[in-house]
Amino acid sequence: MNIGSDRMEPLVRVEDIHTYYGKSHVLHGVSLEVGRGEVVGLLGRNGVGKSTTLKAIMGLVRPALGRVLFEGQPVTHLQADKVARLGIAYVPEDRRIFGLLTVTENLRTGLDRRGVTDARKKELLDKAHQYFPVLAERRNQAGGTLSGGEQQMLAIARAMMLEPKIILLDEPTEGLMPRMVSQIHRIIDVLRAEGVAILLVEQNVPLTLEASQRIYLMEKGVVRHHALASELRVTDPVIHQYLGV
Amino acid sequence: MRDRHALIYWSGFTVILVLLIVAPLVLPEFWRRFLTEILIWGLLAMSSDLLIGYTGMVSFGHSAFFGIGMYGAAAALLSVSPPSLGLAMLYGLGSSAAVAAFVAYFSTRLRDIYFAITTLIFSQIFYVIIFTWTEMTGGENGLTFARPKLGLPGMEGLPFTSATLHWFVLALVTASYLILRRVTQSPFGMVLQSIRENETRTRAIGYPIERYKIVAVMLSGLFAGLAGVLYAVQNRFAAPDFVFFVVSGEVVIYNVVGGLGTLLGPIVGAGFFLLLREASSRFLTEYYLIPVGLIFIAMVIFLPQGLLGFMRRWINR
Amino acid sequence: MLIEQILIQTVNGIVTGMILALVASGLTLIFGIMDVVNFAHGELFMLGAYVGVITLAATGDFWLAFVISTLTIAALGAALYWVTLRPLLGRDALTTILATFGISLVLQNYALWQFGPVARKIQEPVTGHFSFFYLDYPWYRLVIALASAAIIGGLWLFLKFGTFGIWIRATMQDRVMAQAMGIPVPMVLTAVFAIGSGMAAASGVLFGPLVGVNHAMGLDWVLKGFIVVVVGGMGSLGGSIAASILVSLLEAYASLIVSPAQSVIVSFVVLILTLLFRPTGLFVRTPR
Repeated sequence: MNIGSDRMEPLVRVEDIHTYYGKSHVLHGVSLEVGRGEVVGLLGRNGVGKSTTLKAIMGLVRPALGRVLFEGQPVTHLQADKVARLGIAYVPEDRRIFGLLTVTENLRTGLDRRGVTDARKKELLDKAHQYFPVLAERRNQAGGTLSGGEQQMLAIARAMMLEPKIILLDEPTEGLMPRMVSQIHRIIDVLRAEGVAILLVEQNVPLTLEASQRIYLMEKGVVRHHALASELRVTDPVIHQYLGV
Repeated sequence: MRDRHALIYWSGFTVILVLLIVAPLVLPEFWRRFLTEILIWGLLAMSSDLLIGYTGMVSFGHSAFFGIGMYGAAAALLSVSPPSLGLAMLYGLGSSAAVAAFVAYFSTRLRDIYFAITTLIFSQIFYVIIFTWTEMTGGENGLTFARPKLGLPGMEGLPFTSATLHWFVLALVTASYLILRRVTQSPFGMVLQSIRENETRTRAIGYPIERYKIVAVMLSGLFAGLAGVLYAVQNRFAAPDFVFFVVSGEVVIYNVVGGLGTLLGPIVGAGFFLLLREASSRFLTEYYLIPVGLIFIAMVIFLPQGLLGFMRRWINR
Repeated sequence: MLIEQILIQTVNGIVTGMILALVASGLTLIFGIMDVVNFAHGELFMLGAYVGVITLAATGDFWLAFVISTLTIAALGAALYWVTLRPLLGRDALTTILATFGISLVLQNYALWQFGPVARKIQEPVTGHFSFFYLDYPWYRLVIALASAAIIGGLWLFLKFGTFGIWIRATMQDRVMAQAMGIPVPMVLTAVFAIGSGMAAASGVLFGPLVGVNHAMGLDWVLKGFIVVVVGGMGSLGGSIAASILVSLLEAYASLIVSPAQSVIVSFVVLILTLLFRPTGLFVRTPR
């Protein structure tokens, strides 16, 4: 299959990774690619290894076999903080806001890096406040006091503070009201317009098909199917087969 | 398969037991005493293995049970003339069981490091009481007393020699081992081990965890008290130093070094530790704890299973 | 007469409480952030006092000795962390008790070996007394209280406003997410251990002039440190400071009635009552 943007070196290339959690074999050789500025959806039922794939890219789970390349360089054995510095940001499934830190402090965890001027920091903060006005209102409030949707905004904004080349987005719409879901959709489009690539793990199939350019379908720790998003419909048998929608 | 395991296990057990029985006949006086002492400290460590290794509760307060057993025996030996071994056992075990019940009632409500810190603080409370209650306990100087004779109450006993004392201690330590082994393999012991593996799940199945833990701490305290009585009988003194929490820490060391959850490991650990101390104290006099501490740290990092850890499953079968 | 004694004991309690707060903040920082129950904290306190003794003898300047000792022990703390505790990351918190207990044995006996059993004296930088309700009270004790308060205040500001402080607090709450945000967590953990160790050393030097410096002086402090850390709520800086003062005051008042050796039982009892009735700590508002 030769669809997508792999004529050039892709931004992220995952090559046949296997991971174990204790004795259970979670990923049985996952391979996928994300090009620069590309939004790629990763779909599958619960427990097929989508989140683990993101964690493996981030360096939070060590693959026993296989490798992860970022801009052509292997990052498989780097610590997560080094991976983040290279330009990969992570928005985990349960958001993992620093609950006792204020909203601004949460953003500063990504902002206070070497080589970022104060002017640039202010620019980035302003951008976060512009995209997510609610964060500006609540800037001095503890992260733990925000609602679920607000926490999701904060988690995405926090990732943006790293000025990443790619954001690994794990089920951003889980448990959110429809109004929030469309806001997440909008922000994905905005990020894509800015040239930030996104690897999107979702349960919300319609949203994923609309927001993404390409789709990988996973089952039992491997990628089973790969297609352009425009070629898939929510009602396709292949979607039904792997997602049981 | 099971029969073969039992055959090997019990033959090994018998060989070691016979060696320990014969040992005082061939060893010189110093090493004879030394071996007896290893058995006593081993018993103390074994008693705490019931908590640390089998129930997953790290007690940093076993010095209290040990010391109370010691002082209980001392009280009996000083109050009756001629000193009676039976009474010393009764007092020592009674008081350590009472203290263990008291400590158990409070400490078992807490888990993990909170349990460890609570037991440590309780042992310090007893330390301070013993240290400052000079008229009863002799304070800092402790108590000295005569050694009782070996015999049943009402009978003319035999005076202890270092060999008979060794056999007496060996008999009690062996009996304790067999009892504790039986306990750990009983349904009660299985519940303790399931608490160690997953407390929440064990509770969810419907076991009254607290009651099991209280009984475990009391049993453990009782055997620790027995070790205290034996130490008092062997050395004819009781001193507050033995109640200090550093002793509890050493007991934990014996366990970790020997192998948690094996009952025998702690005795091996005590032997290893005491030999190491003996060897290094010849070169380093009182600073022996420097190499001992370094070896201990290395073992915590590199050999958390302990010396006998590799045969843990086999021993517990 | 009794009123005066109570007043004196109140001041004494607060002064001791401030030192204890300094010890306990280091302990709390280390526990709260890396789940390490640092049994060797008392030994770092003791070694800090000894380094103070040596540098004071060499330089003749108490405050210089204070700074050098703090930095030396902070470096030692970082090294200890790197060698012995880092390999234990992710294992049960109990294994850290074991490892630090081993460290404590080694350091204590090293001090005995190096410095001998005779207690050393640190000369206080401020002598003289002031009148306080017809009683003389040494100035130096107030200096101790103020210096401790200043260090704790500095730590608070550092944690509250600095980038590194944010890193530390983020690491404390969610180590994995902090690392995924690009925070160099291994470096943060080492630094926290170093800061906690340095604070132990600082309190050792400050406290040195009040008692002799000897190899076993850390034992009492680590025990009391544990007590106030638990009473104040594990990992809560404000809580352990409040608990330090509470416990020290209670002990000071108790020493009016019983001997000082027995008055420590008061703090034991406070701990046990706390564990039984408010296991999350007396001064923690919401159970986490």
